[in-house]
Amino acid sequence: MATQHTIQLHRSMYMAQAVRDAIRVFEDFANFAMVSDEHHYTVTIQDVDPEVDGDLAGEFCNFALAHTIERKRRTPK
Amino acid sequence: MAQHTLERFDANTNTAVLSLDAGVYPIDAVYGAAYALIDRAFVLLDKEANPSGKGSRFLVQLRGKRTLDQAAVEALSGEFGNELLSQALRRKVVKQNNKIIEEIVTQAIAGATGASLPQDFVDDDDDDLDFLDDPLGIAVPWEEKFKTDTKKGA
Repeated sequence: MATQHTIQLHRSMYMAQAVRDAIRVFEDFANFAMVSDEHHYTVTIQDVDPEVDGDLAGEFCNFALAHTIERKRRTPK
Repeated sequence: MAQHTLERFDANTNTAVLSLDAGVYPIDAVYGAAYALIDRAFVLLDKEANPSGKGSRFLVQLRGKRTLDQAAVEALSGEFGNELLSQALRRKVVKQNNKIIEEIVTQAIAGATGASLPQDFVDDDDDDLDFLDDPLGIAVPWEEKFKTDTKKGA
C-alpha cells in the first residue's frame, strides 16, 4: 500500500519560496502537491521511491525550515 | 506558568511537541534554536492560538533522527529550551549594542577604502618628518651617546 504524508507548514513561519525550493529538490524521489489556505501550506507527499533510505518527509521539513531561515537572514528588515 | 513546556511525547513516532508562548520568545529566537538542532532532529514549527484565548503560541515538533527514549527526547527538548534562551539573549545584546557595532563597522570599512578618517585618528604633528629623521636620538648608539659622560665620571 502506498503511503502518503501530509505536512502542514504555517504560512507565518515558512516562506513559500523555501517550500517550493524543497519540493524542487525532493521531487525526484516522490510526488509532491502543495496547496495553501488561510494559515498553512499543505504539502502532500505520495509514491515515495522505495529506494529512498531515510525519512523523506522529515528531511523535506528540515530543508524547508533551513531555507526559510537562510532567506529571512539574507532579507534586510 | 512555564514559558516553554513539553506538550506531549509519543514513543511510537519518536516525537516530542513543545509549546512556547509567542509573546515571550521572538520568532527569530525560535528559528535560531530550531536551526541548531536540525542536524539531530526533524523539526516542524507551527503556530496556533493559546488555549487560554490570549495571544498565540508556537508548537515545535522534534522528531529524533535516531530512535530516542523519553529521557533522550526530554534532554533534546531541554537543549532546545537552552538554545532558545541563548538566542533570545544574543538578540537582546545585539539590539543594545547595535549603534556601537554599526560605528565600528563603518570606521573599519572607511579605513579599508581609504576614505578620510575621523579627526581623532589623524596625527598631524610630524608632517615634515622623514622616516630617517631621528629628533629624539633614538638611533644613536649608547656608547656614542654616553662616551663623554663616562670619561668625565672616571
